[in-house]
Amino acid sequence: MNHNNVSAAVAIDTGDLPFGGGMLALVRPALDLLQPGGVLAVLTRQASAPDDFSTWCKVEHHELIESDAQPGGLRLLLRKGGLGHARGTLEDGLNLAPVDGRLDAAAMLAQVPFPAHADPGTGFAPRGAMVEPGGPVYAFRINDLDHAAPPDVAELYDQAVAAQWNGERDIAWDKLKPLPRALQRAVGQIFTFLAENELSALYVPSRFIARLHPHYVEVGQFLSTQLMDEARHIDVFLKRARVGGGGVGISHATTSASLHSLLMLEDFTEAAFLLSVLGEGTFLDLLRYIEEHAPDEVTADIVRRARNDETRHVHFGMSHVKHALKHDPTMYARLEAAVRKRSATLAGVGGVPYAVQDSLTILAAGGTNPEAVSRGHNKFRELMDVMHTNRVKRLLNAGFTPTQAQTLSDLHTPNFM
Amino acid sequence: MPDNTILLGAVAYDAKVVPIWEGIRTHFQKQGVPMDFCLFSNYERQVESLLAGHIDIAWNTPLAHVRVRKRTGGKSISLGMRDSDRDFKSRVIVRKDAGIRTLADLKGKTLAVGSRDSTQARILPLHFLKQQGIDASSVKLMAFDTDVGKHGDTGTSELDVLKALHDGPAHAGTVGDLIWVMEQAAGRVDTRKLEVLWTTPGFDHCMFDALPSLDASKVEAFKRGLFAMKWENPEHRRILELEGLKQWMPPREEGYASLTAALDEQQGW
Ligand SMILES: [Fe+2]
Ligand SMILES: [Fe+2]
Repeated sequence: MNHNNVSAAVAIDTGDLPFGGGMLALVRPALDLLQPGGVLAVLTRQASAPDDFSTWCKVEHHELIESDAQPGGLRLLLRKGGLGHARGTLEDGLNLAPVDGRLDAAAMLAQVPFPAHADPGTGFAPRGAMVEPGGPVYAFRINDLDHAAPPDVAELYDQAVAAQWNGERDIAWDKLKPLPRALQRAVGQIFTFLAENELSALYVPSRFIARLHPHYVEVGQFLSTQLMDEARHIDVFLKRARVGGGGVGISHATTSASLHSLLMLEDFTEAAFLLSVLGEGTFLDLLRYIEEHAPDEVTADIVRRARNDETRHVHFGMSHVKHALKHDPTMYARLEAAVRKRSATLAGVGGVPYAVQDSLTILAAGGTNPEAVSRGHNKFRELMDVMHTNRVKRLLNAGFTPTQAQTLSDLHTPNFM
Repeated sequence: MPDNTILLGAVAYDAKVVPIWEGIRTHFQKQGVPMDFCLFSNYERQVESLLAGHIDIAWNTPLAHVRVRKRTGGKSISLGMRDSDRDFKSRVIVRKDAGIRTLADLKGKTLAVGSRDSTQARILPLHFLKQQGIDASSVKLMAFDTDVGKHGDTGTSELDVLKALHDGPAHAGTVGDLIWVMEQAAGRVDTRKLEVLWTTPGFDHCMFDALPSLDASKVEAFKRGLFAMKWENPEHRRILELEGLKQWMPPREEGYASLTAALDEQQGW
């Protein structure tokens, strides 16, 4: 056979290396650089190489075009086959470098942007990797950029990592003083309620991490910081409920029904909307109220720290929902329907759970003096108005019309979350 | 009950045999070819079942194939084979420290061989060595009769041979080229210790066999279904990869002449 017209794109010299003793470690990476049909020249002094390559090429679907004696050894020409070939391009042109000694996730995302759509057949392959075909199709369900990742998710992740705090050491637990019994009980009840809601905020996002295509991993990274935040909130809230002897209080059926309806959500965007925009958004006002009326600086510090974290969660939810609304014209109707459906399942559960309402009243009153309780009651009523006003603002900001915003806010759960 | 379903027999040498034949059956059904399969635990029973007419077609090793040829007086119908079944070879591997430079040096040495029913690890290498003047009686034969009945499909006895070469006491050993190359590609061969002494001539491997009495419509339907499998089709490719081929090929008999001669010579029928 005359193969004089075949010229190799790449040539490697494998010297005396045996086939299974290093030669393949040079040949396989060289083949990876070629497109199917590309030709690799291999120089070797191993006499058995033609036999080995003949069998190996048959299995790997390459072609051993020829082997001929050359001064100082053998020259083999291999043509790369198209089967089992990893698809993609090597990241040779990447320009990823630290700025001022820091390398953040946003810089990485800028270099390796999200794809508009992701293929569940790439499994856990990191975004940008060349993927060998033949792997299983994973059951990822969030495979579109528009329903997965807001544009600023990497910045939010960087901020979240930088803002982590420690519920064991960062709170001045030793400065907590015992409170009058009624106030102590109210504090215990409020932090019981907060912890119960935080548990739902831990569970609901966690359901979506495993459904998210790994090519949108920054979303998973952000959600994992959210999970860490919620875990810490649960931790410090239950500590606050118990330190000083208040103890945990009542878990109301209204709260349970409301949180259960969040856990039933199957759509990531609907969950982001109901949990983060409406629920955690409303919680920002609740936490500010508790901080404002906190009986001591330690309690105020706890809810202030939690509110900082929650602000990020709300920001992520807003960003996610706005991004989805912008790219999916059906989204307004879907989100409205989700709110209406949830409201319907919660019909008849009543108003704000009474123990929560009473405790927030006593907290604002600073005790049980009737005049103070009257003031506390007014503060609680003002809180409801503030929550509604701010919810409407967030809904307008997300892009809903004033009428829609008003309706959706009115339909929101009396449980706040 | 008149039934045009083709009943195919295969030997369950590995768990993957089930998804392979489930997949092929689904493919045949899509082609309008009713097909079902039954699994045997060894090739001897599969061959007897074919000859007794219990199954229509047997997916046979080369040893089972030549036995069917012989038992039917050469009248059996060969239906197809894998691309990878053509031009198999065996290798004689030696320890570098055994002082074996030529085939003649094998005399008096310990030669590890695979199962007595492994074409590539025992029957043919011993046959080809005899042609080269090395009779089995002139070496110390160390036989690994593992997975007998599977005709070498599992490759276990070949791995036993390689282990005996790596760790002793074998000086030389015979394995199929597929195992030899793929074990090297997986980084499991110590090339400081082992090297190839000799490569045998080529021979062919598995074959779909049927009795000459098989209904012509079933023969045609089977070939139509089989050769409709294409590597480019992802559903087909999954099955083809599991079964270790990229293309089904028409049958050819000349690749089994050496095995027939070897069985005559070794009284291996
Ligand atoms: Fe939280
Ligand atoms: Fe949160």
